[in-house]
Amino acid sequence: MNSDLFCGELVRLTVEDPRVLAEAFSRWDRDSEYMRLLDSFPALQWSTKKVQEWVEKDQDQLRPDLFMFGIRTRSEDRLIGGISLDGVKWAHGESFLGIGLGDRTCWGNGYGTDAIRVILRYAFTELNLVRVSLDVFEYNPRAIRCYEKAGFVHEGRLRKFLDREGERWDMIFMGILREEWEKTA
Amino acid sequence: MRLTAEDPAVTAEQFVRSNRDSEYVRLLDNTEARLWSVKKVKEWLEKGFEKETPATFTFSIRILESDRLIGFVGLGGVQWSQGDAWMGIGLGDRQDWGKGYGTDALRVLLRYIFTELNLHRVSLGVFEYNPRALRSYEKAGFRMEGRQRKLYEREGRRWDGIVMGILREEWEQLA
Amino acid sequence: MNTALFSGDLVRLTAEEPQVMTEKIARWGRDSEYSRLMDDNPARQSSSKKIQGRIEWIQDQPQPDLFIFSIRTKAEDRLIGVISLHSVNWTHGESFMGIGLGDRQDWGKGYGTDAVRIILRYAFTELNMQRVSLDVYAYNPRAVRVYEKIGFVHEGRVRNYLNREGKRWDMLYMSILREEWEKMT
Repeated sequence: MNSDLFCGELVRLTVEDPRVLAEAFSRWDRDSEYMRLLDSFPALQWSTKKVQEWVEKDQDQLRPDLFMFGIRTRSEDRLIGGISLDGVKWAHGESFLGIGLGDRTCWGNGYGTDAIRVILRYAFTELNLVRVSLDVFEYNPRAIRCYEKAGFVHEGRLRKFLDREGERWDMIFMGILREEWEKTA
Repeated sequence: MRLTAEDPAVTAEQFVRSNRDSEYVRLLDNTEARLWSVKKVKEWLEKGFEKETPATFTFSIRILESDRLIGFVGLGGVQWSQGDAWMGIGLGDRQDWGKGYGTDALRVLLRYIFTELNLHRVSLGVFEYNPRALRSYEKAGFRMEGRQRKLYEREGRRWDGIVMGILREEWEQLA
Repeated sequence: MNTALFSGDLVRLTAEEPQVMTEKIARWGRDSEYSRLMDDNPARQSSSKKIQGRIEWIQDQPQPDLFIFSIRTKAEDRLIGVISLHSVNWTHGESFMGIGLGDRQDWGKGYGTDAVRIILRYAFTELNMQRVSLDVYAYNPRAVRVYEKIGFVHEGRVRNYLNREGKRWDMLYMSILREEWEKMT
């Protein structure tokens, strides 16, 4: 039985105090490039108070379809982002994966890939899911490569789904099946 | 076909009735099939109206000839800044399937979406085990954009989820 | 795709208006033999107001770990009982099943067997469970025989669990696995 389910090589998954998360989120939100890589909702900034209320509501509700974690570096214990399995469809054994590293100094260091490995192991050996899905914007090639490395397979594109900077962009969707993950692990 | 707005009491009755047909429910929705009382469905619909959001539009479908209420069609997850939305449709009574009602309701909805809401793109998901709907969407102009492999499990096996989309420029060429 | 997921040979599973259910449950609660076959809590009667409150609360939103239905005869459309899958444990694909036919004139007619067959099909082909468990009291041999006939396997006894009528009684655990169910159907 794996004793360190939430630990990877470079990062570990954590649960944070709402105040800590709120402060981090509202700081990262100021980086509009980060926001536009993460989300299709118009980039906006929120007060720390509001973000804290949302985080508390999520943590209070204990939604059965949401598993949300912070990502901390193992070397310095620095909070660098968040990762989640959201919208778990239990009867079908499937969930959506979302990740964001809000601290741009961390991009390109393998932290994202490591966090994804940790959460896939959690999804397939603790939640016993059979499939994990995700979507990613065409203009985020770094993330696309990261997902490909983690074993996700391209499944299609929602053409011209996004409208940003005067251009239309596709949203790519990818998936990994448990049997595929078992071969890589 | 015409698209209408209905009293929650009317929609609730229709919903509960069609909800008893488990094949309909499983063609429509990936959530586990459940049964509901009319009282509860009516309460939810009323609550839903109170918190009307600008990101959802639901219409009932009535046949022009007889004015019979046969189903619903709707838009959800409208992202105004991106100009796109997801749509869903359901005809609750199997005697109404295969008559062109769905395709016609889709035409009305798409016209509304592209000329009234001025969106740029409509997406939808359909179960691999629903070929009738797939054909209907293709006829209406939707293109297959990919498959989420083995997304669903029902009746002891796994099924793909098919994703389709139509762009405004494609729709304009059809009309 | 199964068109009549909730329908059997003799009965069908339904959702009832809260008021209808309340009247029935209040009436059934007056039969203490029924209460003692159903439940280890001391047999007692509840006010209609309390019963309706409970039903409304259950119906208010889809509970992720509870699937509860009423049972009606197909011949006369008579409301005769309740059946449920509860304590659904999604990560392990396991659930408990409970059933009660409130009117003793309906016992021994095959209604219970038929309802359990419907709910097992629902558990294994819609909720995609791997196993369904139940518990039954040693002083309810009729129910034990029904479960054995359907294919439930004995797994153990909680000895001297109950104290009723001046005697101690065992509670029996039984279960059926998906692969066992698939072989039968």
